[in-house]
Amino acid sequence: MFRSLNDKQNQRSLVNLTINEKWVTAPQGQTVWAAMALAGETSTRLSPVTLKARSAYCAMGVCFECMIEINGMPNQQACLSEVKEGMDVRFQEITEQTSLLNPSGSVSTLAKSTGGNHDE
Amino acid sequence: MTNNIMTPSFNSSYDIAIIGAGPAGMSAAITATKAGARVVVLDDKPRSGGQIYRNVDASPLAKPAVLGADYLKGGEITATFKRCAAEHIHGVNVWHAGDNGELLFSLDGETQRLTARQIIVATGAMERPFPIPGWHLPGVMSAGSAQVMLKSDGLVRDGAVFAGTGPLLYLIVAQYLRLGVKVKALVDTTPKQNYLSSMSEITGAMSAPGMLIKGLGLMNEIRKSDTKVYRFAEGLEVQGEEACKNLSFNISGRKHEIVTEHLFLHQGVIPNLNMTQALGLKHTWCEQQLCWKPETDSWGQSSQGVIAVAGDSSGIVGADSAAAMGRICALRQLVNIGLITAQQAEHEAADDLNFMLKQQRFRRFIDRLYRPLEQHRKPTDDQTVVCRCEERTVKDLKQGFALGGREPNQLKSQTRCGMGPCQGRMCGHTVSELLAEWRNEPVADVGYYRLRSPMRLVTLQELSRFTNLTPVTTVDRAFSGTSDSDVDENKEQELAQ
Repeated sequence: MFRSLNDKQNQRSLVNLTINEKWVTAPQGQTVWAAMALAGETSTRLSPVTLKARSAYCAMGVCFECMIEINGMPNQQACLSEVKEGMDVRFQEITEQTSLLNPSGSVSTLAKSTGGNHDE
Repeated sequence: MTNNIMTPSFNSSYDIAIIGAGPAGMSAAITATKAGARVVVLDDKPRSGGQIYRNVDASPLAKPAVLGADYLKGGEITATFKRCAAEHIHGVNVWHAGDNGELLFSLDGETQRLTARQIIVATGAMERPFPIPGWHLPGVMSAGSAQVMLKSDGLVRDGAVFAGTGPLLYLIVAQYLRLGVKVKALVDTTPKQNYLSSMSEITGAMSAPGMLIKGLGLMNEIRKSDTKVYRFAEGLEVQGEEACKNLSFNISGRKHEIVTEHLFLHQGVIPNLNMTQALGLKHTWCEQQLCWKPETDSWGQSSQGVIAVAGDSSGIVGADSAAAMGRICALRQLVNIGLITAQQAEHEAADDLNFMLKQQRFRRFIDRLYRPLEQHRKPTDDQTVVCRCEERTVKDLKQGFALGGREPNQLKSQTRCGMGPCQGRMCGHTVSELLAEWRNEPVADVGYYRLRSPMRLVTLQELSRFTNLTPVTTVDRAFSGTSDSDVDENKEQELAQ
């Protein structure tokens, strides 16, 4: 189990986010990966070929194992992202099968979410 | 600029652009701005400090002192860096750097462009891959990750097993113990013969006695605790169907097993190569450090005129040498752009150059002592995953090799090994070494993947909105006012002696 030694948690302002539809509270500035680990949601994505769950390996942005879906946008590195109020974090299920069934699937999700942000 | 991208909050042209805000990048920026250069520093983390000084100015821990004096001293350089006149752009991924001084990077999902007359690459190090059976299973992480999680979020994992070799492994175990975090076991894979072979470098190590004493201190700290320590372990394997359940290994032919769901692996660090490779810089295989590194002179100058490489991305040197090297690179580039004379640079760099020479002798000792086992670098078991992204095993690679994949790029097109999102970071060194073994030729002849921009994941939407991709072929064209390339060449010769 992961545990936090963050003694200054109450000094930092807190944000609320959902991880796989479960509400959690995390201090501002925390990485999304840390929030996931503390919530016990350590699975990040399905591996593309054997469809096995994977989890973070390096926590510093080089292994790309912690790619997750944030606010509908896939392939986000949890260890390089910071928690934000209202963030929607989800286990990523893009595999060779899903991209064969719907080759433009991930791209259209992308277009929707990026377009949405762009309009703001 | 006439395009539809957001108005950037930074300038579009600089004297020196520095990629990476670790000890090398920060000290380069401090030196360059002192001499009046217009400097920009880009980093992919929200805060400066790099991995080594991560969150040193904003530690989540009540007493960051437990992390050690070597960490705390990063506070000073980080504070000086913050005060210097350099422009800091944090939390951005540089996805293209060109030998014409052009940088493209993502900021909040939009691509931005800037140009610089000189570039310093200071992208630091990453951990060497540890391709053993089961290393891809959830629950297995790198020891560096344990340190990063501790420094940035105060996140720890009770009852974990640490396995492998190298100073960083002992440091994180000692830090856990100081914080009262239980460590189930330390499985040390440093082979017995390394203690003997490293003795030939012991006089070199004596040139930095402080480092030696620190290392011994860490080992003593661990021995004094009730942590179970296994020495001279080999043949590491992780067992588990869906996740890590068990670690097994041999010591003098006897098999050991430890039940654990939390395993941290480490066998040294290697340069984070993707930027220097994609820039097309010349690289050589370093037999001492068992890694690829960009070719540089003692001033950090690469094979490309406008690009210098500082710190661990030029070959593993450690934090103090990285800072020294950052200053040296900056001085050299200040000469290149005409802000100081070669004589001034020689004078100001003298102490740092000397310091680096001493540290190199110490490094030879460390590299020899903690040289990772061949069996943990070149997997032989058919089922072992080499490419984590595309899930390619030793067996897949052997098949690709039999089909003509004799060098990394051919093997990549045969098998997809190295084609995933990590862009070969987690498999590149393994592939170079495996192919060298199968071909029975030196690694230097085998080579590495050919990498290209974008060096980070960029969405198609972002690319489609970025419309001002006007290739510039030379720096002189980008900076039409500077036509002093002849002068620059003379200065280069002067510095090269």
